[in-house]
Amino acid sequence: MTLTEPSSPVPTSTQRKLSTAKAMVEGIAQEMERDPGVFVLGEDVGSYGGIFSSTTGLLEKFGPQRVLDTPISETAFIGTAIGAAVEGMRPIVELMFVDFFGVCMDQIYNHMAKIHFESGGNVTVPMVLTTAVGGGYSDGAQHSQCLWGTFAHLPGMKVVVPSTPADAKGLMISAIRDDNPVVYLFHKGIMGLPWMAKNRRSIGPVPEDEYEVPIGKASIVRPGRDVTIVTLSLSVHHALDVADELAGDNVECEVIDLRSLVPMDTDTILESVGRTGRLLVVDEDYLSFGLSGEVIARVVERDPTLLRAPARRVCVPDVPIPYARSLEYAVLPTADRIRRAVLEVVTA
Amino acid sequence: MTEIPCPIISDTDPDAEGVVATWFVTDGDQVREGDLIAEVAVDKVDMEIPAPASGVIRLLAKEGDVLTQGTVVARIE
Amino acid sequence: MHLSAGQEPVAAGVCAHLTTDDAVTATHRPHHFAIAHGVDLRKMAAEIFGRVDGLGHGRGGHMHLFDPDTHVSCSGIIAEGYPPALGQALAFQRQGNARIAVAVTGEGAANQGAFHESLNLASLWKLPVVFVVEDNDWGISVPRSASTCVTSNAVRAAGYDMPGERVEDNSVEAVHAAAERAVARARAGEGPSLIEVHTLRLWGHFEGDAQGYRPDLEGVPGRDPLPTYEAELRRAGVLGDAGAREAADAAAQRVEDAIAFAKQSAEPAPETARDYVFA
Repeated sequence: MTLTEPSSPVPTSTQRKLSTAKAMVEGIAQEMERDPGVFVLGEDVGSYGGIFSSTTGLLEKFGPQRVLDTPISETAFIGTAIGAAVEGMRPIVELMFVDFFGVCMDQIYNHMAKIHFESGGNVTVPMVLTTAVGGGYSDGAQHSQCLWGTFAHLPGMKVVVPSTPADAKGLMISAIRDDNPVVYLFHKGIMGLPWMAKNRRSIGPVPEDEYEVPIGKASIVRPGRDVTIVTLSLSVHHALDVADELAGDNVECEVIDLRSLVPMDTDTILESVGRTGRLLVVDEDYLSFGLSGEVIARVVERDPTLLRAPARRVCVPDVPIPYARSLEYAVLPTADRIRRAVLEVVTA
Repeated sequence: MTEIPCPIISDTDPDAEGVVATWFVTDGDQVREGDLIAEVAVDKVDMEIPAPASGVIRLLAKEGDVLTQGTVVARIE
Repeated sequence: MHLSAGQEPVAAGVCAHLTTDDAVTATHRPHHFAIAHGVDLRKMAAEIFGRVDGLGHGRGGHMHLFDPDTHVSCSGIIAEGYPPALGQALAFQRQGNARIAVAVTGEGAANQGAFHESLNLASLWKLPVVFVVEDNDWGISVPRSASTCVTSNAVRAAGYDMPGERVEDNSVEAVHAAAERAVARARAGEGPSLIEVHTLRLWGHFEGDAQGYRPDLEGVPGRDPLPTYEAELRRAGVLGDAGAREAADAAAQRVEDAIAFAKQSAEPAPETARDYVFA
């Protein structure tokens, strides 16, 4: 078995295009072909193919010994993944919605994330916990949250959040090969699903060979001189739309896609803010005690003089995600809210 | 020139229909044989259409269009 | 610290059927199982003392013992050690080499969701697991009668289509016999079993627990299974004074050696407090 050196993950416009969901599945399939210890388990990951198409076609290709539909028993099957990882396998276990972590968090943060530490480094837990996040389609307060900040807050697990098809594949391959537990959160709105709202950025060029996108490295997806927008996941797409639009008004936004929360690429943020002097954090997770405050704290801790204007945040205010569309879109970090915040920051 | 038909959805119903769910290419793109170019939604399943040849693709339907199986959806020149 | 005294027959009776290729997942009260399954006593003692030569270099402590050499692990959370045992069993099932996983918990844990989810999944997938429930009558201060609607957790096994057996008298020989059946079934690929042992919490929930809530204390010392079994062996004529002394001395020597080892081992340096979070 030969491991291909990580190739350049930079996609080119002439490459064939995939949706984020198909790119993610391609990454899983290539690793399953390479390593017989990789297997998939979770609710509806078999013949259904994952309710957000995160495992489509894997059952047909690899069979029921390697793609396991589970009972609705998140504690049991996430724990199963942990034990299999302890014995050297590389499970990919899907928590259907991140909102469901309440029924199984003990396995995640007290076991998956702590066994390596408690064993003094003698036991590794190489597994990937995939989970769907995000709102925007009237699924209510228990099926629309992002919650990545909750996982990132607790020590012992890496946390990655792709926003593009190419990163979805490369981060998946990196996550599977990592010897640590990696929580891989994918937003339903970036998967390119025909039955969700159309999103032109959810389909993009994806290299066909296997490649890794390094965990812990942010990506400057659009350079700009006036303001740094630090964001992730679906909000990257909205931020890019706003940046495209404001470029016509001579406002140049630099957009940073974090891609990883743990570890976080603080250097890229600091370098950018050092150039622009202005910072906006856009986060579809809750406002308080989370990612947006963490990003600003890291900047201010290092050098409070970097900011020429007060930092701003566009997040979900501290309310559950409402059901009614008018209310839901009032709390999500929409392009309108991002645009207003950018203009406030650059004129401050 | 190669014509690309909407895939055969039903062996028994010649008028079976599908919806163009997603184009993975844009009009005028260079494609290679085997590349995924479109997905057609039929009831609960999605059928993929791969490029039957290499060349420049011309799209003859929009996302959301309802097509009878066999209808030409694109050409490769 | 949660001492295992009184529960030794469970570990001895079960682990007699295992090799160190089999996995054991123990509880917040894990030491009897760790010893019976062959964990290095020196490293275990050093971990309990929080020293660098401990199993987890002082990061885990007395209820987080992890030993990859013997596949022993622990969970300090009631019933939550069961699910990872399923994964070890799944890995063994795929290897096709008849290795098994033993998952241990207490009777209080049998009212937790993780217990029931695990029994269902293990039975559904015919995983090579032996579920062990140590019924020591007490969930800290709450008696079993106030926590559990059935008199035997073994009957719950029927709800998950697996054999369930209850050993009533903390007898190492009865545990040994029950475990023999369960281990054989698991190794044969026939799926999991559940064994509940009515054992004894000889001392408090933790060392220093005054146990003011416990009305049965008066008779407890007389039920200590070690002298009880010694007397039984003497009556049967298989153990004499010399043998008993030899066994006791050898055990005492091992323990003293382990404690001496732990005491001479250094405490972890404060500047290493952030080590081992990630591989």
